[in-house]
Amino acid sequence: MMKAWHFLKHLNCTPAAASLSLHLLRSSSFSLSRYSPSLFFLSVHTTASDHWPARGQVKNGHANFSTASSSLAVHSMASPVPVPANYVSVLVRCHKDNSDMLAEALLSFGASSVTMNEDDVCSDTDEICVSSIFLEGEDINMSISHAADSIGLKEIPRYEVKIIEEDDWMKGAQESFHPVEVTEGLWVVPKWITPPDIQAMNIILNPGLAFGTGDHPTTKLCLLLLHDCIKGGEHILDYGTGTGILAIAALKFGAAFAVGVDIDSQAIASASENATLNNIGPDKLQLHLIASQTSSSCRDDWPSRVVEGENAFEIDRVTHKDKYDVVIANILLNPLLNLADQIIFSAKPGAIIGLSGILSEQVQNILQKYSLFLEGIDVSKMDDWACVSGRKRKNIDIC
Amino acid sequence: MAAKEILTRRPVAATIKLTVPAAAARPAPPVGPALGQYRLNLMAFCKDFNARTQKYKPDTPMAVTITAFKDNTFEFTVKSPSITWYLKKAAGIESGSGRPGHVTASTLSLKHVYEIAKVKQNDHYLQNMSLEAITKSIIGTANSMGIQIVRDLD
Repeated sequence: MMKAWHFLKHLNCTPAAASLSLHLLRSSSFSLSRYSPSLFFLSVHTTASDHWPARGQVKNGHANFSTASSSLAVHSMASPVPVPANYVSVLVRCHKDNSDMLAEALLSFGASSVTMNEDDVCSDTDEICVSSIFLEGEDINMSISHAADSIGLKEIPRYEVKIIEEDDWMKGAQESFHPVEVTEGLWVVPKWITPPDIQAMNIILNPGLAFGTGDHPTTKLCLLLLHDCIKGGEHILDYGTGTGILAIAALKFGAAFAVGVDIDSQAIASASENATLNNIGPDKLQLHLIASQTSSSCRDDWPSRVVEGENAFEIDRVTHKDKYDVVIANILLNPLLNLADQIIFSAKPGAIIGLSGILSEQVQNILQKYSLFLEGIDVSKMDDWACVSGRKRKNIDIC
Repeated sequence: MAAKEILTRRPVAATIKLTVPAAAARPAPPVGPALGQYRLNLMAFCKDFNARTQKYKPDTPMAVTITAFKDNTFEFTVKSPSITWYLKKAAGIESGSGRPGHVTASTLSLKHVYEIAKVKQNDHYLQNMSLEAITKSIIGTANSMGIQIVRDLD
């Protein structure tokens, strides 16, 4: 299992992988956007290699995709950017008393995941199926044999190999997206469902494999913040835009212009389609794929997996915009701490800054870092999650 | 488990176990197929898992157990890698000694042990153990692997 991760990270750093994802990014955008796609993608600095899920062989800049051609067409539900993946599902039969141990053993000997169904189809005997996933490159027979050995089974259990269609699980994952009424008169609706309230403000989304469907507490907290603070005419920066939901919502609330940035090409592709679905053109919304940053603490013996961010003021250079009236960042604790300088720098004095993607227990860490820069700080919470907001102090000089 | 919990427990569809690197869950294999097959909200899991594993060193392989309920909701627990894993990593070795007690595989200092203990204390099931107790447990495991613990490494 560990070997697989090493391999993946190493693969992701090759220049071939970088140029490949760039190619896919451009070609997928052609079919999705009715505006010139080049306006949406002003720059692709480097691919965030640890977020590009490329796997499989990359030869001469072309990867082996089983669904490459079909995924470039617009599907109603499929992800806009193909996720190449070579893995198999293996159903291992064993006596139900052994299933837990066998499952753990399989995980130790090469399986990436194991699943045990509660109601088992093959349980007319005392046997159950442990369903496991192996990534490409694993010797399945050897793994199962070692696993069985390690728990004292006398013979290798019977097993069956199945190829999983990528679309199956992707569709399954997206089926959990339902229309959400975030607040009165504001809905987020999947593209394939008719809005329950046609009169309301409806944000139409095809999320693909990006984050932000209006369902998650952090998305709701940020949407409510934007809903309250946008008066009209503002310039918005959406850091970690995902599906673009926050930038799109801000524009619908009356903002004049929004920029969405993300380190994940899936996100940029999804946001691009969603802008179109909501009749938002590149004059209103620009999207940028930016390099991810590493903090020095994650450099150890693991293969170097990301390209270092170029400098702290990349956003400014990338977007050619001065400063923003509202900066919203729904990401994670560590990126929020590492990017504090950039986030603060990109805001005008007195601008509203909203930070989320953090658990309630992480609020103190955020306050420690950001209270130097923010005044009038407010913390809103929903379930275990929190959003910290405030205005950039006017008398800060950041060098 | 409290009686109330048993009575109000939702029907379980499946139990999924997998290893996910801390703060790096993505909607891609193996997470994607494992969860997608049960119509679970993949992105919500990734967001939740990544947020909850912020305190671990990036890429630490976390052991995740997901209970998928029949109504497509889910719960999950996260455990940091085994003490054996940490010891091997700290000592820079692939496996313990073939003859622990007779052949030393490697040597670590108390400081290493203490650092490991601090990380393991984050694990839910160890939260009630004192740091001292966890440390003793780690030293025991180290000895059984043929790893010697010394006060200071020179």
